[in-house]
Amino acid sequence: MTIVTGKAEARRKLQPGRSGVLRNIWAHRADYAYVLPAIAVMLVVIAYPIYYTIELSFYKTPPGLQLRDKTFIGFDNYTTILTSEVFWKVTWNTLVWTFGSTFISFVLGFATALALHRDFIGRGVLRAILIIPWVISAVAASYIWKWIYHSDFGIIGAVLVGLGLTDRPPNFIDNVSTVLPSLIVVNIWREFPFAMIMMMAGLQTVPDQLLRAAKVDGANAWQRFWHVTFPHLRNVSVVTILLLAVANFNSFIIPWIMTAGGPSNASHIWITHIYELAFGRQRWGVASAYSVLLFLILMTLGYFYVRALSGNERKEGGA
Amino acid sequence: MTRIMLGSAVLRGTVVGVLAASLMSTSALGAPPVDLSKWSPEYVRSIAGTQDFDTAGDCAKVTPLDYKGRLTFWYQGVFEGDPDLLRQYYKDFFETFRKTYPNIQLEEQALTYNDLLDKFRTALLGNAAPMAVRLQILGGTEFASKGYLQPLKPEDVGYSTEDFWPGAMKAVTWDGVTYGVPTNNETMAFIWNADIFKRAGLDPDKAPATWDDVVKYSKQIHDKLGIAGYGLVARKNAGNTPYRFMPQLWAYGGGVFDEATANPTYKQVELDSPQSKAALQASYDMYVRDKSVPVSALTNQQADNQPLFVAGQLGMMVSHPSDYNVMLDLQAKATGTDKDKAQTVIDNMRYGLIPTGPDGKRAVVFGGSNIHILKPEYVEGGKVDEPAAKAMICMWASPEWSLKMAYAGSNPGNLNGFKTKWMKERLDHIKFLDVTTSMLPYGIPFPALPESPEIMNIIVPDMLQNALTGAMTVDQAADDAAKKVKDLMGGL
Repeated sequence: MTIVTGKAEARRKLQPGRSGVLRNIWAHRADYAYVLPAIAVMLVVIAYPIYYTIELSFYKTPPGLQLRDKTFIGFDNYTTILTSEVFWKVTWNTLVWTFGSTFISFVLGFATALALHRDFIGRGVLRAILIIPWVISAVAASYIWKWIYHSDFGIIGAVLVGLGLTDRPPNFIDNVSTVLPSLIVVNIWREFPFAMIMMMAGLQTVPDQLLRAAKVDGANAWQRFWHVTFPHLRNVSVVTILLLAVANFNSFIIPWIMTAGGPSNASHIWITHIYELAFGRQRWGVASAYSVLLFLILMTLGYFYVRALSGNERKEGGA
Repeated sequence: MTRIMLGSAVLRGTVVGVLAASLMSTSALGAPPVDLSKWSPEYVRSIAGTQDFDTAGDCAKVTPLDYKGRLTFWYQGVFEGDPDLLRQYYKDFFETFRKTYPNIQLEEQALTYNDLLDKFRTALLGNAAPMAVRLQILGGTEFASKGYLQPLKPEDVGYSTEDFWPGAMKAVTWDGVTYGVPTNNETMAFIWNADIFKRAGLDPDKAPATWDDVVKYSKQIHDKLGIAGYGLVARKNAGNTPYRFMPQLWAYGGGVFDEATANPTYKQVELDSPQSKAALQASYDMYVRDKSVPVSALTNQQADNQPLFVAGQLGMMVSHPSDYNVMLDLQAKATGTDKDKAQTVIDNMRYGLIPTGPDGKRAVVFGGSNIHILKPEYVEGGKVDEPAAKAMICMWASPEWSLKMAYAGSNPGNLNGFKTKWMKERLDHIKFLDVTTSMLPYGIPFPALPESPEIMNIIVPDMLQNALTGAMTVDQAADDAAKKVKDLMGGL
């Protein structure tokens, strides 16, 4: 006799190949009716803007005309983007910004989570303090950091000059070579608490008995971390990294407020460049084409994110 | 002493004729309420307080005071660089409007200079614009040319076209049709710290005569005192940058087009001319060669220069008369010894005419703002309450309120504002006001083109940044900017 569990039964019901999609929808018509309002809202606020952006990306929208006077030009906007020097510069900046911010935020957050996982006096206070950068408004943080970095009267410069380490305050954000790394530091400062929280949550799922057993078997601290702790954190790490990467690809506030993409486009990343193209220069068509490309990249990341999440669920479900 | 010196300087100005002609030529427009050909600090003083105006009475003829309606209104309001005094006048204006027109439901929204254009453009795309908007002078032609604005001339709100600066009227005119009413018009002046000048071995009572002198003075101040000489501003997407660089560009004989001539055609791009490159070279010399200006100039706005100036860390800058009041506000907020330091700076604050170029040409941006009414199809709800909008415009552009709303930082768009008692009061209370009114005849409007916002807010700052960061040479940066303008004008 075969025992069919509730989960297995539900999974069987969701196999469209067996009963057909329409029959499936009909069978669950009440469920669909419940979520219909939400789907309608999503169609209006998500699906339509996506469709409209894709449509606009095939049109020329001269800055001197209204949007309704646009002309169809096929893939010309995409060709314009891919053949422009600015695109490659901005793309390089975006990659440096995204991977630099994501990787260092994750490593720093993970290290902090490991440090805070151990029991010590003041752990709660320290944890609360470390979360502060994440809860501060990005706008406020950007203005504060702008003054911290100020190339003439910033506090870092004042300290360095005061200590006699340099004659002039270092030029952080008014220099094409240093501006992007300086902004990445601010972004890491804002983001690493998020990675820390995620990894702290993950650490709590590592079975204590496994760690104790490994210790009994003679594993040292590094071996226990590498062979026991880390494998348990693989999925939460993937999710954290993907979420950070998506957030960084979309990051706008810090670079826009601190430098507006300058100096000389050295801190322009895709999203600030798209904003400038659309709202500053009214090249809605080109900006839309950029947005479509960005959308495709983010969708790819989103796919891996969902896959990582479903991987977790499958494991939890014993599949 | 400064006033006498400035008055004579105005009278002496030889090149001013061409510039003044563009702003003041009235032959085609009839006689204005003030004699623009006599414009000088003495003349402005002589007409101040000579006429009374009944604002509510005048506006009642446009829209009855008991009119019942609703108005959505966006305006470029006060921001962090403005003095508290101005904030109070804005508050008073809206209170007075509500009292004068108690049955008009007013929904106003203030936006800063740098945000307004972007947000307004976005709202227009979604047909969610306000019924009326007060835009910076740069924005009028862009929206008029695209067909978003209703024709609107001063006569529609109870005034005559001659009541306003001819240069300001150009900025609200597109294809021969008037689309707005100027509210205020302004020119900036040159500000310096006499104490810093003295300590640097410069004449404390004399502003640099030419832009070449500014470069020299800036270096001397930096070399002797170790502080920044001139408050260069080169941030992107910030109105402060073109307002400070264009006077320099025009003084050297350059321009984006021929906007500095009496009858500009805007056909020939001049950003790559030797004169324009000389102006850019002057900025390069200060920033790169002499390192005599704030390193932070590439991310600074004028609001960032103000604290540096009041802290005695900046010798010279270009700004409004309101910067004196801003310094008073900053001084009031300072504590301990900082308060005394700030007081010393305020005591030593001097205003003068903006320096000339090598050929004696003096120029300043003729700035300001205008009010416009939108076409109903672009407005949220698809309706425009015209009587309510006209009531607002009549009141803001009245001699009384166009003066009061520009009290510390600007000048009334309505020339009759110069005749009011508040102008007289203002001349007595706002220090250095006559310097900036003296600069008005040297004012050059930004090109009255829909492409002007992009040119001034993006292409010109980009050119500066490309040269100052070393990303391009001065020649390359100017050529690159000229090409971008040509591409833009060619519809690319």
